[in-house]
Amino acid sequence: MAFTNEQLERYSRHIILSEVGVKGQKKLMNGKVLIIGAGGLGAPCALYLAAAGVGTIGIVDADAVDLSNLQRQVIHTTADIGKAKVLSAKESMEAINPDVTVRAYREFVCAENILDLIADYDFIIDGTDNFPAKFLINDACVLAGKPFSHAGIIRFKGQLMTYVPGQGPCYRCVFGAPPPPEAVPTCKQAGVIGAMGGVIGSLQAMEAVKFLIGKGELLTGFLLTYDALNMEFRKIKLPKNPGCAVCGAHPSISAPVDYEQAGCAWK
Amino acid sequence: MQITVAGNRREVKEGLTVAELIALEKVETPEYVTVSVNDAFVQSGTFAQTVLLDGDTVEFLYFMGGGEKGRRIWLSQMNS
Amino acid sequence: MAEIRIDAAVDITDVVCPVTFVKAKVALEELDDRQILSIRLKDGEPVQNVPRSMKEEGHQVLRLTDNGDGTFTLLVRKAE
Repeated sequence: MAFTNEQLERYSRHIILSEVGVKGQKKLMNGKVLIIGAGGLGAPCALYLAAAGVGTIGIVDADAVDLSNLQRQVIHTTADIGKAKVLSAKESMEAINPDVTVRAYREFVCAENILDLIADYDFIIDGTDNFPAKFLINDACVLAGKPFSHAGIIRFKGQLMTYVPGQGPCYRCVFGAPPPPEAVPTCKQAGVIGAMGGVIGSLQAMEAVKFLIGKGELLTGFLLTYDALNMEFRKIKLPKNPGCAVCGAHPSISAPVDYEQAGCAWK
Repeated sequence: MQITVAGNRREVKEGLTVAELIALEKVETPEYVTVSVNDAFVQSGTFAQTVLLDGDTVEFLYFMGGGEKGRRIWLSQMNS
Repeated sequence: MAEIRIDAAVDITDVVCPVTFVKAKVALEELDDRQILSIRLKDGEPVQNVPRSMKEEGHQVLRLTDNGDGTFTLLVRKAE
């Protein structure tokens, strides 16, 4: 695969970097990343991965663009209101970089489809807003041996961690099981500052890029938390949980499970 | 005695339990917080019995949603 | 001056900075260690920047020749 002069110019700032170079850019162009959720986290992540020239990007979401999304979901425009989010996202990504193949999946993830959805991808981005989906994605990635980036945002706070098979704890190691519906506030009830999705979603894109080019240290075994009001980042070490129900010594979960949806996901 | 809570040094009374620290720190949704002490998880349900020692390092890990739905609303599946 | 055996050549007179260096870097990546690349480049910014960038990447700049037509030829030995 030889670069055209146009590609050399497009990716010049990457190729100049000794950590990326020609080899790294080719790895990005051969890379496949699946983004679940085209919202506050998925929007900036999808834009940066498309701009970086990640060759194949899948994006999963069943919703349509709503006016209340536009305060933070920067991949959609006012003219996109009512359009399927995955189509709006695909158009924006292809407009930024026609090199990229975007696969749009207009559906929600569930126990029946999650393993098929992730099967073809090298790295998964959890950009969902609810705990049943987060546990579903975690379990599917652990069972299928896929690396993924987990993230959450609320109010002026955000956090993320990276799971790589065989390296450090999974999301379930830390959080056990989803809290009951309504027990924990989510961003629909509590609000979220728009740029928080930009910060944390971009960090997720950074993890995917580092994984694909094979350079640097990933956020495995750590939870990075960001408190915008106090302008504080903390990298908290995460122990592994030998009793984890999906990746522990004696796992009780051998297939993805659907949990009851948290009540606040209601419209 | 002194302990480190979420990166900050705290002077606390001897024999303080994890449950007492959660109340002291006004932890949000205390029933659903994950606690680690010295890089090991404290099993949920044992917070009241877990006594902290001088020099311990305690972290609180919170559930955080956000992003986009990405998953069908379970009850609406039942209705449709 | 001793004869230098050139393994590959690239013309970067058709692009502007920073793609000049990028195009030379791409050509160099195709070579084996210690092989020699001949780079045809324009006077001015390319002549100022490309040899320096090559040195910074650890490659050995062997010779810069003025072709007398507003272009130069730069010979670089790829780093091991």
